[in-house]
Amino acid sequence: MTKHATAEAQFITPEAYPQLMSKRGAAQAMKVLRSAQTSVKAQVAFEAAVPPMRAAILQYVDELEDCAGDMSCVFDKVHEIRGFAETAGLMTTGRIADILCRYMDDMYRIKKPIDTVIVNLHVAAIARAARAEDDDVKLGEVVARQLAALVAHRIADASR
Amino acid sequence: MSGAGFETLKALIVEDNAHMRSLLRALLNSIGIKEIAEAAHGQAAIDSLRERKSDLVLSDMAMKPMDGLEFTRHVRTHEHSPNPFVPIIMITGHTEKHRVEQARDAGVTEFLAKPITAHNLFSRIAEIVERPRAFVRCESYFGPDRRRRVIDDYAGPWRRKEDFQDMDVR
Repeated sequence: MTKHATAEAQFITPEAYPQLMSKRGAAQAMKVLRSAQTSVKAQVAFEAAVPPMRAAILQYVDELEDCAGDMSCVFDKVHEIRGFAETAGLMTTGRIADILCRYMDDMYRIKKPIDTVIVNLHVAAIARAARAEDDDVKLGEVVARQLAALVAHRIADASR
Repeated sequence: MSGAGFETLKALIVEDNAHMRSLLRALLNSIGIKEIAEAAHGQAAIDSLRERKSDLVLSDMAMKPMDGLEFTRHVRTHEHSPNPFVPIIMITGHTEKHRVEQARDAGVTEFLAKPITAHNLFSRIAEIVERPRAFVRCESYFGPDRRRRVIDDYAGPWRRKEDFQDMDVR
């Protein structure tokens, strides 16, 4: 069987361009990445990030509420919240934001209109979860499950 | 190139959220990278790369006025790019399939979904250190080879000149 190339491409092996470090350096770097000391330092870094991240999430939540029906604005803000909430220790907030992100992503993908009622329900739930000082996990999980079921139902309907 | 590990590397963090920049800086510090520049968007990152060498870039995707995709394309393909081969880890909350494909096609080296963990970030850095990627240059793309694995019994179609090397073509 003859095999034809449909386009020519230049293939540049790692040896042919400047590398990040030597093989000896790489071995040393891998030890650092796998060390317990590095894990401890990283853990300390994450713990220090929680209070400022929480403040940032609350700022994003205010901005999300101010979007007032502008779906492009909601899309941007809710993706930011999804990205940061867990790092801020706001698991339920992150979970609800994730459901809304998936809903909006799917509706855009299948080119169907976004239901503002669904969006508003999520925005209210995200705001409530983010502002609850103890991030009430049990209540939040119940709300998140109900919203996830609602979104799954709506996406299934829209996909028919 | 010396026998040094992370301590001599220079990194660039491109992220519009100051708290995330701070966290990423602390995580890079924890593995010994001390020389770290920061930029709040793609254009500022390009300026930073012009002024100062960077060996590793961590970049957000959604930023204004220039996002991480445009920044990556600029680094990989601009005629005055100071280092088209620099490893770029794209860190983003946008994890939809088409976004991942956009990042791959822009020429990112690794993709990391937020929320980040130390384990996930370090595993991407380990990939870059342990398994540096080959690069591909063709008419429509320059960047890391987008094929992650070799399939021994792949039957084509064949697209690259190298695909014919060591091959018994009858």
